[in-house]
Amino acid sequence: MKLAVCVKHAVDETELKVDSSGRPLIEGAAYKMSTFDKNAVEEALRIRSSVGGEVTILTVGPPEARKTVKEALAMGADKGVLIIPGTATGDSLRTAGRLADAIRKDGPYDFVICSEGSSDTYTGQVPPMLAELLGVPYVGYARKVEAKDGGVVAERALEDSVETVEARTPLVIAVVSEINEPRYPTLIQIMQAAKKPIEERRPDEAGSAESRSAPTVVSMSAQQAARKHLIIEGSPGDAARKLLDALRKEGVL
Amino acid sequence: MVLLTSEHRLLLKSNYAQHEVYAELLGALGAFMEEKVLPLSQKFDDGSAKMDSTRARLLEQGFCQIGYPKEYGGLGLPFGVYVLAAELAGYADAGMALSVAIHNTAAEGIFQFGSEDQKRKYVSDIISGKKVASFSLTEPTSGSDAKTMATKAKKTPRGYMINGSKAFITNAGEADVYFVFAATEKGPSSFIVESPNPGMSFGEDLPKLGMRGSRTSEVRFVDCEVPADALVGEEGQGFEYAKRMLSGSRIVMGSLCVGVARAAYDKALSYSKQRRAFGSPISDFQLTKEKIADMKTGITAGRLLCMHAARAREGSVEYSSEAAQAKVFATEMAVRVCDMAIQVFGGHGYTTEDVHRHWRDARLLTIGEGTSEVLRLLIASRELARSA
Repeated sequence: MKLAVCVKHAVDETELKVDSSGRPLIEGAAYKMSTFDKNAVEEALRIRSSVGGEVTILTVGPPEARKTVKEALAMGADKGVLIIPGTATGDSLRTAGRLADAIRKDGPYDFVICSEGSSDTYTGQVPPMLAELLGVPYVGYARKVEAKDGGVVAERALEDSVETVEARTPLVIAVVSEINEPRYPTLIQIMQAAKKPIEERRPDEAGSAESRSAPTVVSMSAQQAARKHLIIEGSPGDAARKLLDALRKEGVL
Repeated sequence: MVLLTSEHRLLLKSNYAQHEVYAELLGALGAFMEEKVLPLSQKFDDGSAKMDSTRARLLEQGFCQIGYPKEYGGLGLPFGVYVLAAELAGYADAGMALSVAIHNTAAEGIFQFGSEDQKRKYVSDIISGKKVASFSLTEPTSGSDAKTMATKAKKTPRGYMINGSKAFITNAGEADVYFVFAATEKGPSSFIVESPNPGMSFGEDLPKLGMRGSRTSEVRFVDCEVPADALVGEEGQGFEYAKRMLSGSRIVMGSLCVGVARAAYDKALSYSKQRRAFGSPISDFQLTKEKIADMKTGITAGRLLCMHAARAREGSVEYSSEAAQAKVFATEMAVRVCDMAIQVFGGHGYTTEDVHRHWRDARLLTIGEGTSEVLRLLIASRELARSA
């Protein structure tokens, strides 16, 4: 079984600072493995332990993203591929194209596993784009995955229901964070990961089909939470009634 | 990631060529503690959660493997890296840090003074957490004057028979392996006693001021038989072994206290910016600023003294004075810093467990593993001897 996990070297949202106008200070921000991608790596490792095989980590990012690849190797993946693009532009379609190229080159992979979205921008676009570019089935929002002969049975966590689907390999799966609890690599595993192979690729992207129609990010700012600061006074009974009225008026109840 | 700061990275850089590797490892250990230990710390203190399974996970991560050679299941890293790890643990939860540090002291004793067979049998299992260990030296009537121990080990045809009791023993009743000091005809000696043993029993978990996540109780020996190969090293050398084990352990306890002080300091610093009085945050007042400055300076100085002592140990020089200096300073600093943190919080500090527990935790370590008083005597006697 050949498994690929696509992992993002993402802005560490827990340490991200915003300026006085609410814009995040991306330059100089700390980076780490996208939080939910740990679930994707964990699921690949679980599938490997049940049916055997090899887990390859794929990352598109700058040379510093090696740190993220190494972290996934410390968790237990077998090898890594770091794709360092010639241009820093990183819209979803380009990223999906770069990953698809690498997957075609090294594949076929039975499973390509991603997380539902990255912990920094959370667009959730790369996994379905990747499936489309590769021309393989896509199973999104997977909360349970069971590898079967030549295929997979997966539970998909939808808004108000759970859907069980079957699909044939090769395929792309995007997992939700509830699917598992990612393991913490031990200190010995981190030290051993330094010896695992990471191949760096610098693709020639002149004329690449996926460089088309890249959307431009016009602005990015922290969400403003509007608060009404409604203070309700009166006896407990009165106050409760007024609170109920207010909540009904707002459409909460 | 909060636990491993740029200050630690700088300290690693100024001490070790391999600083980036060490920072990566400590960063990962810090992330584990931050996500899995720190959120439970208050619960360990108030008794609403037990720390056993979390401690097992911390040991599995490799916390105690840092300083041991690879052939015994260790990582072969410098002692200073372990000392900084102890600071992170002290920050995350002092009681757990104490428990794993004492556990590791027992492994250290077997590693330093045990036979090859004993090392093979125990060290790897203890430092990986497969077995929990305890260090049993103090007695109800002998603490820092350990030479007067009343626990006796009498030679028998099959080995030794131990009688007596040990007081204030961390991990007592939970541990699988006890590093026990008992006097033979030749004087204080050390033994490995495996639990369960029909001759060994434990007292109630003592109600402590702090370090409440860890278990502390009496260990009693009544005709407790151990085989001849339970003796560690030579008979009569136990006091010498204890002194050497404690020297290393004192640096770790100092560093643990740096972590406790940081935990209290971070809370006080954050609170001083939120709490307003007379129309402005109390951090605007000069007397609050004085506290912030003194707390921070103490923490940095404590960390540097612990690292200085760790480097002396790595350099194989006689370091008992440096270790004692680090422990006296860092533990007393931690008590002061945690006290100041309560003061910054005012009434909320006195009534909030999540603030005053740091003071309660720190307060142990000017007593345990050598009181400040005894350590000052040690420092002074070394200095007087050096100048003779």
